[in-house]
Amino acid sequence: MARDGTRLTGVPAEPRWRQPALAALRGASALALPLLILAAWQWAGGERGVLLGGALPTPLRVWEAWQAWAFGPVGMGLNAYSGTWLGAVLFSAGRVAQGFLLAVALAVPLGILIGWSRGAAALVDPTIQMLRPIPITAWLPFSIAIFGIRDFGAIFLIALGVFYPVVVNATQGAREVERNWIRAALMLGSGRMKILLHVVLPAALPAIFTGMRIGLGVGWTAVIVSEMVAVKSGLGYVLWDAYYVGRMDVVLADMATIGVLGLLTDRAILLLAGRLLRWRALAAHGGGR
Amino acid sequence: MIDFHGVTKRYGPVQALDGIDLRIEEAEFVALLGPSGCGKSTLLNLLAGFEAPSEGGIGFAGAAIGRPGPDRAVVFQDAALLPWLSVQDNVTFGPRMRGDAPAGYAARTAELLGLVGLQGFEDALPSQLSGGMRQRVGLARALVMQPRALLMDEPFGALDAQTRLAMQQLLLDVWQTLRTTVLFVTHDIDEAILLADRVCVMTARPGRILRDIPIDLPRPRSLALLTQPGFVAYKADIMQALHPGR
Ligand SMILES: Nc1ncnc2c1ncn2[C@@H]1O[C@H](COP(=O)(O)OP(=O)(O)OP(=O)(O)O)[C@@H](O)[C@H]1O
Ligand SMILES: [Mg+2]
Repeated sequence: MARDGTRLTGVPAEPRWRQPALAALRGASALALPLLILAAWQWAGGERGVLLGGALPTPLRVWEAWQAWAFGPVGMGLNAYSGTWLGAVLFSAGRVAQGFLLAVALAVPLGILIGWSRGAAALVDPTIQMLRPIPITAWLPFSIAIFGIRDFGAIFLIALGVFYPVVVNATQGAREVERNWIRAALMLGSGRMKILLHVVLPAALPAIFTGMRIGLGVGWTAVIVSEMVAVKSGLGYVLWDAYYVGRMDVVLADMATIGVLGLLTDRAILLLAGRLLRWRALAAHGGGR
Repeated sequence: MIDFHGVTKRYGPVQALDGIDLRIEEAEFVALLGPSGCGKSTLLNLLAGFEAPSEGGIGFAGAAIGRPGPDRAVVFQDAALLPWLSVQDNVTFGPRMRGDAPAGYAARTAELLGLVGLQGFEDALPSQLSGGMRQRVGLARALVMQPRALLMDEPFGALDAQTRLAMQQLLLDVWQTLRTTVLFVTHDIDEAILLADRVCVMTARPGRILRDIPIDLPRPRSLALLTQPGFVAYKADIMQALHPGR
């Protein structure tokens, strides 16, 4: 960690001119392997454009299927999926968003409370730790029995999946707040609630973001699983449905869509974290203590 | 103003303080000097209200001390600034938490930032500052509360020798203007004599007050004092008290 020169600016020590060139090189080397695999896969499919006796369509077939799924006219002809892509994306992403927000709204205050107060920890923590080993997939029949084949069944499952990593990380973050930060706030006359809100919460924020990133991954898993079984719309529903009618090209286009959405939402969280946790990046460069 | 009577502090089997009696007058600058682990921080934490004594009591401004509060502002060894807040927001943290209107503390904040030489750094984050600058923010953050007493626990202990001297001069200047009551913990003999009106020398654990030495050197003081005969005489006396027979 270079201490000098980075002090008041937070700019890393690497010369500026090298950064774009390096980034381009890294980008190119990251893309090399996937492109090679796609090319080999396309080539192996030959004229007919399928492998393994029709089970595996080639990348170009998948691309065409996605185009029809995304941009084709709705409700026309033989292709039941035509033009329904955006709708499916919005259904799934909407459920993930609702479940995610619900979970974060509950898990952050609860986690902070558990990390802050021994009483709250003794009261709530054992219950959470007992329920946590049950995989969210195991909750599926329970969720259907209670909420039926309705939206909230999926949202419940997603929220459950997001809840655990966020609550555990928020607890950890609140436990590890520097004692002198709290003492400083105390001697400056802050009360309990102010300290929770203005010292413990910001101090725990890095840990909370770690929890939210993990939770988001679980959330996407949960939405696909529950749409395959418990709800009749969304990317998970299309995935299973397309498999049943033998449309492996749509199955693969669906998988790719889920992957891209997972990546984009993760990036969005990282971006938000970068904004809110600028002080931490600076501390890492500038030496801090 | 500050009155320790028969204060003892035990941590389980460890006795940190043993029967401390100590009075500090209004506007007095008292340095607490002693070997590492003798209970200096413990004494200061009791006065701040962060911990409670095992026996005895502490009076402050005519009443028994209660919870930590801005009448006894603390400057920590590691500054303990909130790293996500700018210099300005760290300094105004106390008034803001108390719900003061910005008009009530804006002028005072600007004045204090000037006094500690931090004008122009209002928007910097603590991690962008040097150790000495962080301590100055810590000092301004304490002073903005207009405390009746300032409790400082080895505030310059982690700084390099050069910065340390500069900070000692700064503190002399600030004290000359504000005249707050100060309890200053250190294990640096020079620092204690240079800054204080009285140096209280403590024994090794369990801590007791061994000597209470008034420092009769003229104010306003500056670093030039460090080499003068009067200063050196005090130093010899205190070294004798800390390491008898050497
Ligand atoms: N919370 C605690 N629990 C147990 N023992 C403690 C605690 N705080 C302090 N002690 C012990 O009490 C004694 C006095 O500690 P204190 O920190 O007051 O010493 P100090 O004079 O400030 O030392 P230093 O110069 O190293 O800062 C030490 O032996 C220390 O280990
Ligand atoms: Mg100490």
